[in-house]
Amino acid sequence: MPVTFTFGEMLSARSVIGSTLAELGATHDNLWVITPDIGATLVEFRDTYPDRFVDVGLAEQVSVGIAAGLAYDGNIPVVSGMLPFLSMRALEQVRTDVCYPNLPVKIIGTHGGLVGNGGSTHYAVEDLSLMCSLTNMTVTSIGDPVMVGEVIRQSMDMQGPIYIRLAVGKKDMVLYEPGQHEIRIGKGIVARDGSDVTLFTHGTTVAQALTAAEQLADDGISVRVVDMWTLKPIDADLIERCASETGGRFVVLEDHLAYGGLATRVADVVADRGIALTSFERLGIPQVYAGFGEDEQLRDKHGYGLTATVDALRRAVAPVPATA
Amino acid sequence: MTQTVLDTEPDHSVEELEDLAYELRRLLLNLCGTYEGAVHIGGDLSVADILTALFHRGLRIDPNDIRNPARDRFVLSKGHAAVCMYIAMAMRGFFDYDDIVATYGQLDSAYGMHPCKVQLPGVEASTGSLGHGLPLAVGMALSARHRRETHRVVTLMGDGETGEGSVWEAAMAGRSQKLGNLVAFIDRNRQLMTSFAEERVMFEPYPDKWRAFGWNVVEVDGHDMRQLVDAIDALPDPTSDVPTVIICETVKGKGVDFMERNLAWHAGSLGAQDLERAMAALEASRNKEAH
Repeated sequence: MPVTFTFGEMLSARSVIGSTLAELGATHDNLWVITPDIGATLVEFRDTYPDRFVDVGLAEQVSVGIAAGLAYDGNIPVVSGMLPFLSMRALEQVRTDVCYPNLPVKIIGTHGGLVGNGGSTHYAVEDLSLMCSLTNMTVTSIGDPVMVGEVIRQSMDMQGPIYIRLAVGKKDMVLYEPGQHEIRIGKGIVARDGSDVTLFTHGTTVAQALTAAEQLADDGISVRVVDMWTLKPIDADLIERCASETGGRFVVLEDHLAYGGLATRVADVVADRGIALTSFERLGIPQVYAGFGEDEQLRDKHGYGLTATVDALRRAVAPVPATA
Repeated sequence: MTQTVLDTEPDHSVEELEDLAYELRRLLLNLCGTYEGAVHIGGDLSVADILTALFHRGLRIDPNDIRNPARDRFVLSKGHAAVCMYIAMAMRGFFDYDDIVATYGQLDSAYGMHPCKVQLPGVEASTGSLGHGLPLAVGMALSARHRRETHRVVTLMGDGETGEGSVWEAAMAGRSQKLGNLVAFIDRNRQLMTSFAEERVMFEPYPDKWRAFGWNVVEVDGHDMRQLVDAIDALPDPTSDVPTVIICETVKGKGVDFMERNLAWHAGSLGAQDLERAMAALEASRNKEAH
């Protein structure tokens, strides 16, 4: 029985992964779950379908290789773990064993961005850039915990691989009322409409983007927030429409390196389609190894926290000073 | 489920298999003499006997029914031996040898340096990057076990590639998952691309390493067809719990004296003159062994 949630509630995206996979295990007898020792939230699946659950221990490479072997034999494997390791230590297995033969392997993980206070060994900040460069890979980054379940369900019918990025996934804000938006892989969500500037974002910073937009509304600035949760394939039509409907003013906010992630994906569309912009600013992690600190502290320190977001949006809509 | 009868080829005698391995080497050299680019001739020649034993006796497969779920799966982990596998499979009826020779390495050919399942559905997996075959085989063996199917999943690795950490991750996983349906052949030719293995990497005590990982270890002369056949015939029941590794002592370049244990012949091409020389060496080697 699906549980409904309310906007603003806090919910664990990890528990949604666990419950969704356990639910899907009943209807998909070829669904397997493989984890490199990160299976605490997969207990229900493990206990119900022990012969389709594999915990390989601390071994990311073989977790992806096994998933590919299972997929070759007609199964739907999910690899669940921490993304810094699945996206980098096992990168070549993801590319060669999964993407090259275009197998339906789902990589679902936590610790996307500067989250969890683990230090730079434990932050996945290059992952979207790496995954977007892989042929056949669909790349997503999800902030709303309820959406996670919906996307996993949709991904069951996909022919090729998908990468699903979460933040820590322990306590995430429900962003959307059930049924409020159409959730479709490859389509962005206009999380808040606005006409002065578009703020593109994904994952854990969607909530921050909505807060920034709310603050600016008090000053009469109308910010459109687009949750571009599918980075690949990117919703190019939506980007083009936003350019014409919000004065060609774009700000991109993401918990990822400022170059290589969503900002780069958006900039590529702008260049490829010859879209004329008035302004373009990217807020994300500069080329630093970020150090310790809580999520919000780190975002502030590295220039993409709430204050920086509000400031960037103000700059975007500020009148261009007349040249002397 | 009605199981389609596989293994349409009768069991060959050891002598017949030896003849087939000789023919495989001859066809391999012939392709190297036709194709202008480099072929991994050294590592191809070292696995010619193993691939012959597998494709003409060990594997339950049917070239006319390549997707039969009951078939044994074969993953060529040392993907650079692709051309030897293509020809071994052609001799078994999967592909047309003339087609391989006519198109090898060319634009839009299904046959190239490393096997691609997308281009050539007759092979089980796309391989080439080393250390990937055993993890794939573990996944396939798990799937078979889950379906209560009793086919085997067989992979062939070079000893050099077992320097990759992923191999040992998979060795642990295969034993932990109790996959008696998993079989790894190792082409123990003791050569890397640019050096003799033990000069650079201490692999020994090699069989003990596999024993320490809990595997059933069998050691054979990888060029002795009788020993290969006996090892295959003695494989444990696929429903058992312990995976098997068959460590095959081999010689890189085997059968062509000037290529044997010669670092220059990891990969190369044969002009008309070298082809003639290689063919003569192959025949001489055969005559020597026959006496």
